[in-house]
Amino acid sequence: MSTRPIIALTTLAVLTAPALAAQAPEAPTERTSIGGYGEVHYTNRSGLRSPGEVNVKRFVVFLSHTFSDRLAFRSELELEDTKLEGGEDGGEVALEQAYLDYRLGDAATLRTGLVLTPVGIINEVHEPPTFNGVARPQFDREVIPTTWREIGVGLVGNLSASRGLAYRIYLVSGLRADGFGGGTGLRSGRQGGKEASFANPSLTGRLEWARPGLKLAGSFWYGGSANQDTLIGTGSFDAPVLLLAADARYDTGPLAFRGVVVRTTIGDAAGINQAYGSDVGSRIQGGYFEGGLDLVRLLQPASGQRLLAFIRHERYDLHAAVPAGTSRNAAYARRVTTLGLSYKPLWNVVFKADYALFRNRAGAGEDEALALGVGYQF
Amino acid sequence: MNHRIGSIMHLRERQTRSLHRRPALLLLVASLSLVVAPLQAQSVPARKLMASLERVYGRGLGADSLSLDGAVVLRVRRHDSVLGFAQVRDVMGKDQPITYLVATDTALVLRDIDILIYREPYGGEVAYEAWRKQFRGRDARDSLVVGRQIRGISGATISVHAVTLGVRQALRQLAEWRRDGRL
Repeated sequence: MSTRPIIALTTLAVLTAPALAAQAPEAPTERTSIGGYGEVHYTNRSGLRSPGEVNVKRFVVFLSHTFSDRLAFRSELELEDTKLEGGEDGGEVALEQAYLDYRLGDAATLRTGLVLTPVGIINEVHEPPTFNGVARPQFDREVIPTTWREIGVGLVGNLSASRGLAYRIYLVSGLRADGFGGGTGLRSGRQGGKEASFANPSLTGRLEWARPGLKLAGSFWYGGSANQDTLIGTGSFDAPVLLLAADARYDTGPLAFRGVVVRTTIGDAAGINQAYGSDVGSRIQGGYFEGGLDLVRLLQPASGQRLLAFIRHERYDLHAAVPAGTSRNAAYARRVTTLGLSYKPLWNVVFKADYALFRNRAGAGEDEALALGVGYQF
Repeated sequence: MNHRIGSIMHLRERQTRSLHRRPALLLLVASLSLVVAPLQAQSVPARKLMASLERVYGRGLGADSLSLDGAVVLRVRRHDSVLGFAQVRDVMGKDQPITYLVATDTALVLRDIDILIYREPYGGEVAYEAWRKQFRGRDARDSLVVGRQIRGISGATISVHAVTLGVRQALRQLAEWRRDGRL
């Protein structure tokens, strides 16, 4: 018999430690891991009779190194639009994340470095197979300025394994009001860890509650944006920006839903507009909702593949409120409706097609776009 | 034997209580363990494994350790009756191994799984009871596909797929040993 009872003891307390030591998962020694994700897009905004544009939108390499069981370095290096050339538009090589994790326990990991702001869904989780539509939602560009990252320190962890709560909280470098714009919101005010000023230390965090198929979360950003410019204030919390967000994801298998809402207030928008000649709103708000139906599930229930037909509606206003002296621009009240398909032969590979309608309250510069894409992650 | 475990636990509770009365001491111990911790390799603490097995099978357990193809399988019993089989395994997550337990009954039907050590900062939701309990009652014949039999968790996709794959492999391995008459 090849079954060999080695020892038979009466209590597990005595037995398990030595018995398992033989088999045990080797304690992770120093090790380097590579991963990545990427997406290639075809976009046509001018109608099918005229040519569209093709682009390797993103090529991202994930590189991590485990120093010990508790210390690990993790990073993502991103190349956008295949190359970066002097004097030409587009193209970016950027560190998306780079931080050191010191695992104190399940409840807390101390994180230091360039981190993703944990606001909304897409800013943290944006591997192409995880979202529908070729391009990321426009909301996740204009309202939540994805990919939003800053340098700082914080904690991430699970509050309780049985209750299903997870959190992240960071103290990071702040936004800069001189980059804010009426039609672009906070986007150009991000520093992204590039010789960033720490004049306005900011707090950002997230609390998540998860069940199988369901995730609900609330997140925030709070910090000044004056960057010691005497025109708007030299205090750490002058020209404060407060962003509050809530998001939900529900995936039953045949049906998948997700939604995000955000309300951002920009303190002293009047002062900012006066100082920099911009037209920033004092409040930005809106959200989107998306529903999808898995057609493979209906036709061939045993298959592990997915073909999601989805519709997403985004509605937000970058001028939900304006300060005195700034006139409200109706073109900043935007609506985007996207209809499309996502085909996933495997969970980490996706082929996408969609049609999006871009609308705004002023009816100015409205258009439509057809897009095709492939994406992967590993 | 129950009595012995009981009195050890009682002792532990008393020690914990007395630590609470000395916050300064507790702080010292905590900061010391923080400094020392990274030097020690992280293996499954016997206490954690025992608690996990007791949660599945109840108290008063004994076990024989079987060595099969270099792997260790625990034959869990109470007195002379065998309750099932348990195995501690590793599966790779995004960049760290996830250490998990599979615990079956004598017919190799899963009674439960448990996550013994989770080392990554994201995806820890696989340890949640609400997710793990989907595996109860499954056996080697179940295909265990994420999105079908097993519901996923947004933001924990890699870990969900890794653990599901690991459990599938464990069940098939146990079934194979059973077929060969070794289990």
